[in-house]
Amino acid sequence: MSHELSLSIVGSGGDGAVAAGDILSLAAAREGLSVIKTEAYGPQIRGGESSCTVRISATPIHAQADEVDALVVFSWADFARFRAEMALAPTAIVLYEEKDAPPEDMKQYKLVPIAFSAHRAGKNIFALGLIASTFGLQPDAIRDCVRNRFKKKTEAVIEANVTAFDAGLQKGVELMLGADQLEYVKSEPKLLMAGNEASAIGAIEAGCRFFAGYPITPSSEVLHLLGEWLPRVGGKCLQTEDELAAIGAVVGASFAGAKAMTATSGPGLSLMSEMLGLSSMAEVPSVIVNVQRGGPSTGIPTKSEQSDLWHALYGGHGDMPRVVLTCTDVADSFHTTIDGFNIAEEFQVPVIVLSEQAIAQRRETIDANTLTHEVVERRLATEEDRENYKRYLDTVDGVSPMSVPGMKGGEYQTNGLEHDELGRPSSMFTTHMQMNAKRYRKLDAIAKKYPLFTRFGPENPDLGILCWGGSVGVVREAVDRMTARGIRVAAFAPRILMPLPAAEIQKFVDASKQLLVLELTFAAQFYKYLRAEIDLPKATTSVFARSGGKNLTVTEVMEEAQRVLAGKKEEVLA
Amino acid sequence: MSSAEFTYTPNEYKSDLKPVWCPGCGDFGVLNSLYRTFADLKLEPHETVVVSGIGCSSRLPGYVESYGFNSLHGRALPIATGIKLAKPELTVVVVGGDGDGIAIGGNHFLHTARRNSNLTYIMMDNEIYGLTKGQAAPTTPLGDKTKSTTYGNPEAGVDPCALAISFGATWVGRGFSGDIKGSAELMKAAVQHQGFAFLNIISPCVTWRGDDQHKELRAKVRPVPEGHDVTNMPAALALTNEGGPLTTGILYDVSHPTLNDEMVEIATKATAKFPNATKKDLLRAFM
Repeated sequence: MSHELSLSIVGSGGDGAVAAGDILSLAAAREGLSVIKTEAYGPQIRGGESSCTVRISATPIHAQADEVDALVVFSWADFARFRAEMALAPTAIVLYEEKDAPPEDMKQYKLVPIAFSAHRAGKNIFALGLIASTFGLQPDAIRDCVRNRFKKKTEAVIEANVTAFDAGLQKGVELMLGADQLEYVKSEPKLLMAGNEASAIGAIEAGCRFFAGYPITPSSEVLHLLGEWLPRVGGKCLQTEDELAAIGAVVGASFAGAKAMTATSGPGLSLMSEMLGLSSMAEVPSVIVNVQRGGPSTGIPTKSEQSDLWHALYGGHGDMPRVVLTCTDVADSFHTTIDGFNIAEEFQVPVIVLSEQAIAQRRETIDANTLTHEVVERRLATEEDRENYKRYLDTVDGVSPMSVPGMKGGEYQTNGLEHDELGRPSSMFTTHMQMNAKRYRKLDAIAKKYPLFTRFGPENPDLGILCWGGSVGVVREAVDRMTARGIRVAAFAPRILMPLPAAEIQKFVDASKQLLVLELTFAAQFYKYLRAEIDLPKATTSVFARSGGKNLTVTEVMEEAQRVLAGKKEEVLA
Repeated sequence: MSSAEFTYTPNEYKSDLKPVWCPGCGDFGVLNSLYRTFADLKLEPHETVVVSGIGCSSRLPGYVESYGFNSLHGRALPIATGIKLAKPELTVVVVGGDGDGIAIGGNHFLHTARRNSNLTYIMMDNEIYGLTKGQAAPTTPLGDKTKSTTYGNPEAGVDPCALAISFGATWVGRGFSGDIKGSAELMKAAVQHQGFAFLNIISPCVTWRGDDQHKELRAKVRPVPEGHDVTNMPAALALTNEGGPLTTGILYDVSHPTLNDEMVEIATKATAKFPNATKKDLLRAFM
């Protein structure tokens, strides 16, 4: 008996490898199990190799499994493309197309030839049946999802697929592979969604009624969902000619009083930098969801990295206060996007919500009841404020009541030029100094109100891990496993990176005997940022920073942690 | 604004900020035409937004008593599109120069026209970069010597009206800043047009194009020929790029649904399937 199952399905376009994973994941979510599903593709738009990996568990999970227990291969040539990124458990069962001879290095696993190609109507669905009976998954739930998947097709198509599924089930019974059976108790159904979808739903929940975006991998799903749903809730969605126009339209809509957002990835964020400065200077709220991919330049559009960090923190010219938030998993993408709106609206600043391909495009189960979050509204100019109105009134927390077109008496001209309290252009040093101070003061107020972070593990740990964003789930599982072995390791992840919850981080740093900073950037961007902001003891701090392109694994984190604990300290980067 | 009764006279649309323009600049004429237009149309200052990019002429929003946005070089049109979509009841007028709109902002000019965003776009065209002190613009004629074209401009200038018509603007006109009344009439028609209205106003730069530019341009100006069919695209295009004469007046005027009309249509389709959509409806797709 086992509490979890991880498997990968690999094939060519048309084999339905990813579709099979979708059906399986949804069925498991409906059974109340926890699921994380990831996909990988070759560069082709249609056809080409594709794969998906599904982890199903009776207990909460926070990351993809390091190794799969089962592998379905429709074509070894396609598998070769993913080999470097796919690890198999030593006991893994490999179900492969019998007409295609397996490569030599696969002979260490339990190889089971299957006549997949004999089931041309639905070899992927046949495979699902085979998996269900081999690993003890509830066939009814999957069968329902098979029917649901083909509900728009003819009855004959639906029945052909159900027949293929049942044939697969039967085949599994005949083979009796003796695999560990998944043990679970059916519970409340869960939602299954991707991080991009959670961000889009969060935006709607926050009151976003205007979205403008330009298609870019891996963030386009935000545009897709909002394009479908904003018109249903009284909002508008505009696909623009480029990212410059996308953030421009957002700033315009927000100036007019709408809660507005755009979503992009690294190259788009680069293009948006100048307008971010305008949003900051003119104090017009804006929210930018930036889904990181491998960079620089076009980089690796389909894979994850954390290397937009410096750009998000520092990108753009001039002294430009902005807020940077992070998403740690799919559910958190919902909450963080709402936090993003709350901060942008309350403090009239641009907010960059940093997501990553690894969470933006993975499907993960969420408890529907957790999808609620407090929503904060903009501090609009009252009638009293609008008597002798000063749009940029210098206040204690730097926030000035904002009037929007349509409000009588609140007329003002805003500006990317430095301006005085009235919004009039000024090149005076004294005005510049005063207004810079006013704009930056908002960050102090935000730091006080939103010291967002996640912390887990014991107090006063032997090793404290500092990480952020998509690494957090992996680190959490590593910490849990090490804790179970009696190792005192804890982790801290700021969920707001600008302004940084410095006091909370410092407390964690001071309480940890040793420190490990962990991130997916080649240049150790997070570590160097912390060095600039926090008193990190050089002698007891180690760094694990590597390129993205392959997701962080629990094994990697544990090996690194144990190496540091064993005293094999890596040379700290300059 | 003072609490005194607003009577919609041109003077009341003047802000107390004094223009930074050079004496004799054509933009003064455009600004005066704009005050008249707003007064004649009785636009409410709080329901009017003037948006600009960067350049001499882009300083204009500051001189108007209304909401205003002096934004980034080349980016006035997307900002204005966002404003208009968020609050379609507002009157949104975009102003700027030829460099701002055709060089750095050229892509937005194309797409804002193409999507028929319901805006008025007034381009003050002086055939030069004024604020950066005299470099060639996309409108500078071939061979002209400027600060950045010591040996003469190696590129031919474009006619902004030809671009606008080709890009899909549904109203295109040309005016001359020296003719304040005439320009105001064109502006009125442009503001009242439903859809993307592009008004190119020849606005001489006395500082970088010389004292004679005003006279030279005035000599080239001629009215739209009698009987011109404003709905005929080839006929409208024939009044652009004339290689000498500058035809002023309404060149093109057709009616198509605006971007906002299309979005209202989309909302109707979207809500037909989910009237009064709730979060539950949305989450159903993930169950």
